[in-house]
Order: sequence, then structure tokens, then C-alpha cells
Amino acid sequence: MTLLEIQNLRVTFDTSLGKVKAVEDVSFKLMAGETLALVGETGSGKSTIAHSIMSILPTNAAVKGQILFRNQDLVQLNEKELSHIRGKEISLIMQNPSLALNPVFSIGHQITEPLVIHESLKKSRAIAQAKDLLKRLHFKGPGVAIKSYPFEMSGGMKQRILIGISVILNPKVIIADEPTKGLDSRLKGMVLEELKLVKKMENSSMLFISHDLHPAREISDRIAVLYAGEILECGLTVDFFKEPLHPYSKGLLESLPEKGFKPIPGTPPSMIHPPEGCKFHPRCPYKKKICSRKMPHFVKVQGRDVKCVLYS
Amino acid sequence: MCAVQLEVRNISKTYQTGLFSKKRKSILKDISFRVEKGQTFGIVGESGTGKTTLGKILAAIEKPTSGEIFFREKPLRRNKEELATFRRKIQMMFQDPEGSLNPKKTIQKSLDDVVGLIKIPKDQRAAVLQNTLRTVGLSEEILVRYPSQISGGQNQRVTLARILLLKPELIILDEPTSALDTSVKAQILNLLKQLQQEKELTYVYISHDRDVIRFMCHDIGIIKNGRLC
Repeated sequence: MTLLEIQNLRVTFDTSLGKVKAVEDVSFKLMAGETLALVGETGSGKSTIAHSIMSILPTNAAVKGQILFRNQDLVQLNEKELSHIRGKEISLIMQNPSLALNPVFSIGHQITEPLVIHESLKKSRAIAQAKDLLKRLHFKGPGVAIKSYPFEMSGGMKQRILIGISVILNPKVIIADEPTKGLDSRLKGMVLEELKLVKKMENSSMLFISHDLHPAREISDRIAVLYAGEILECGLTVDFFKEPLHPYSKGLLESLPEKGFKPIPGTPPSMIHPPEGCKFHPRCPYKKKICSRKMPHFVKVQGRDVKCVLYS
Repeated sequence: MCAVQLEVRNISKTYQTGLFSKKRKSILKDISFRVEKGQTFGIVGESGTGKTTLGKILAAIEKPTSGEIFFREKPLRRNKEELATFRRKIQMMFQDPEGSLNPKKTIQKSLDDVVGLIKIPKDQRAAVLQNTLRTVGLSEEILVRYPSQISGGQNQRVTLARILLLKPELIILDEPTSALDTSVKAQILNLLKQLQQEKELTYVYISHDRDVIRFMCHDIGIIKNGRLC
């Protein structure tokens, strides 16, 4: 069953340097109970897609297309209608725990806030519920954690608190935006285990956003590769890592440590003046003449959707 | 036998825990190691184990509570003149690419600040700058931009260009790729290796990423509970 469907999403930002085409014609479906990973380099539009779903884009953004959740188009909803969905139905785990938590409020205040606002719970009941959640998330000493302030916690602990805040209302869709960024391997493993646990506990679906392919491989059922605001390949994670199809996907996997850190030559294109045709063609080792003129359409290859002339 | 470029002998560091507290917290205990010229020494450890503190001590940004640093087999004296020379020979590259550059200055201005410090004739400065940009794989188009208008990888290349302009002999690399994408990380790591070979640079590479340490380092030390093992 489809829980969330993105149809032809386009997001542009008006800036002093010109119009930034951050997301271009992106479509995908998130099925009930599945984890879909969105991977790609910084600036490829991953977080913009997440923020479009949550409707928390800055005022200079223009959104076109549809974001369908339970037969409602989120793009068309007003602030009041969205406030019933944000946090309760769809929640976002932000990428920088040091900035995402308010430094002047205790963890207890911040983790119980969704319960007090959305469920109108009394503070004492909300605290009890928060303690119970932290216990289920294997937090050592939930009582101490509740009374602590963000500065008293390590980066990993703060990230785990953010996970707690975002799942306390049992949302149907969890969007995890780079939840393992900057963490060491031990904490990374811990956060991934926690995400798997909350997803199982709440039977939620997850959109997992990462520039790091390792956690995406560990946690996702399907994977979508973004480049310069467009999806270039989408399919089952197992198949993707066994045999990537798009030249950019191949390049990404070649740059992994186990392949000897072989970089993709060149840099991502300007999002204000992107190249004509396929946006990856200036860096592509397999480019043909047509690549600089025409952007290919998706074709089905080995059960995966790929946007490359090599397969058309 | 290779010359020893850097030697650290029994470095310890303790901090006062609060403004009025007399309690002290020990961060680094009795750290000793040596790095030969043209080699990379890796310092690995979990977050909060004192890796960055050690890096700052090596770059003479912080003072150790006890212990000594020897650079090219001479002890580091902390008088003004010697520190100025030492700090030019040893440079540090930080984790946060955007935070390493002044957001209010264009890349040109950030690089000009460093070019002004080098004792070369004014008419040769533009050529030196151009050459350094080429070395780190940047084009001159980037000069008119601000740090927020370029990517994380490009910011790290600019930081590296600033460092190379000073002709350092040793670079302390404090997680320089941890905030970068996989493919950009690979580009920067390969660039660092290439520069090491071309300029016979010595590196101390601080990271919690074992794959990066394995790829970059000739020798490693693991920091655990403030001790190097």
C-alpha cells in the first residue's frame, strides 16, 4: 500500500544570483512499512525534498507538483491543516542535533512538547510516557536524561533524543535527514539500531536521507540516487549494491573505501545554470553525443528505474 | 633512515572543570610518538577522547600541561619569534569546511590575506596564487565567490590552498573529510596523498574513520581514556 507519493516535484529558490533549481521533476512512492533511502552528494536536493514534504521550506522557495499523503495533497494544505500532520503523522529527524535541540530547555521539556501540544496530555503523564519511550530505546537512566540539558549530552545522545522526539507520537512516516552525519562508527551503529527499533515498534515507513552509502545499505529496502535535483536510478537496495546501473551510481560505489576511494572526476554542476541534456554528462565516462542535448527518460532495467541513454 | 620530523614526548593536558571549581579533568595522559619526514601518522579514537586537543597542542594553538614537542629534532621554545616560525611550518586543517573560512570575505580576499604574509615580490603574487589554485584543482572563477556559495569539497580545497601558500612541512589534518560526501572525500584524500608525494609533506591525520586512516596512514596510534596505545 502506498503511504506517501511524490509526483513531479519541482522546487526552485529565488536568490540574488538567479533561480536555483533544487529539485526537478522528482517522483517516487513510499510504501507502508518500507524504508526508502535517498542518497546523493551534498546539494543534490535530498533535504529540500524532506523539507517540501514537511512544508518547512524558506519563503523564497516555489513548490510545484504533488505530495500525496492519505489522498491529501500536502502542497495545497494551509498551515492549520499541516499542523495536524507535522509531527503526528509525518515526523522529521533533523540532521544537526546540536542545532535542532533548544539549548535553554531541558530534554524533558523538549521530548514531552509534542505530547502536550498534540495529545493535550498533562505534564506528569507526558514525562512518564517520555521516560517509557527512552527506556524502550535502551537509554541508560531515562530519569537523568529527562532532567539534562543538551549541552550535557554527547552528539550521539542528542541524536538519539531527536529520534525519541520525532517518534513519541507514533508517526506513520519518519523522515530521517542524515541522522548519522559526523558520528563515529560506534555511535553510527547505535543510531541505526535505534532507527530500526523505532520503525519496528511503530510499524512506520521511513525516508532515510544520507550522503553516506553504508548506513543507507544497512537500513533501506529500496534506494533512490539523486544527482543535481533529479533521481537517476531507483530500485531494490540489494540489487543496487550488487550491480549499479547508472554511470553516476557506479562512480559513487567506486569511491567507497572498500573500492580504494576512487573519486568521480569533476564537480557537481551549477544548479542555477545546469548543463543541457543529462546533468551528469560532463563527468560521465560513458557519455555520447546525444547526452549533451537530451535528458533521457526512465527505463525499466532489471526491475529498476534508470535514466540513462545507455539503456534506452 | 628517514629524519624525524616531529617528536612528542610525554604530553599531558588537564582542564579546570568549572569557573570556580578547583577540580581538574585529565584529557591526555603521557602521550609520546614520533613521525618521520614524508610519512603520515594517524590518530584514531572515539568522539570526545581528546584527538582534537592533541592536534591543537601539536599545532601550538594550545599549551600542554606537561611534556615537550620536538620539531626537526629541536625542542619547541614558546617565545614569540620561535612560535611564529613554528606555526608557519606546521599548519592545521579543520573538520568544518565552511567554518574554516571567513564567511564575509570572498575566496580572493581569504587567499590574499595569506599571500600578503609571504615574502615574495608583489608582481609575482598573482602567479603564485594561480599556481596554488591549480595545485588543489580549483579554477580562478571561484575567487569572486563567498564560502557559502561553494561546496564543502571546494571549501576544503581553498583551505588547503591557504595552507600550501605558507609552504608548511607538516600538516595536522583534523577530520578534514568527515563532513564531505563519499565521492568528494575520495577526491580530497587522493589530493592529499598526491601533495604529500610531490612536496614531501608530513601529516598527522586525526580521524574516527578507520577506512580513511587505513588508506592514508603509515603508522597509527589509538587514543583511549586519554592514553595512546
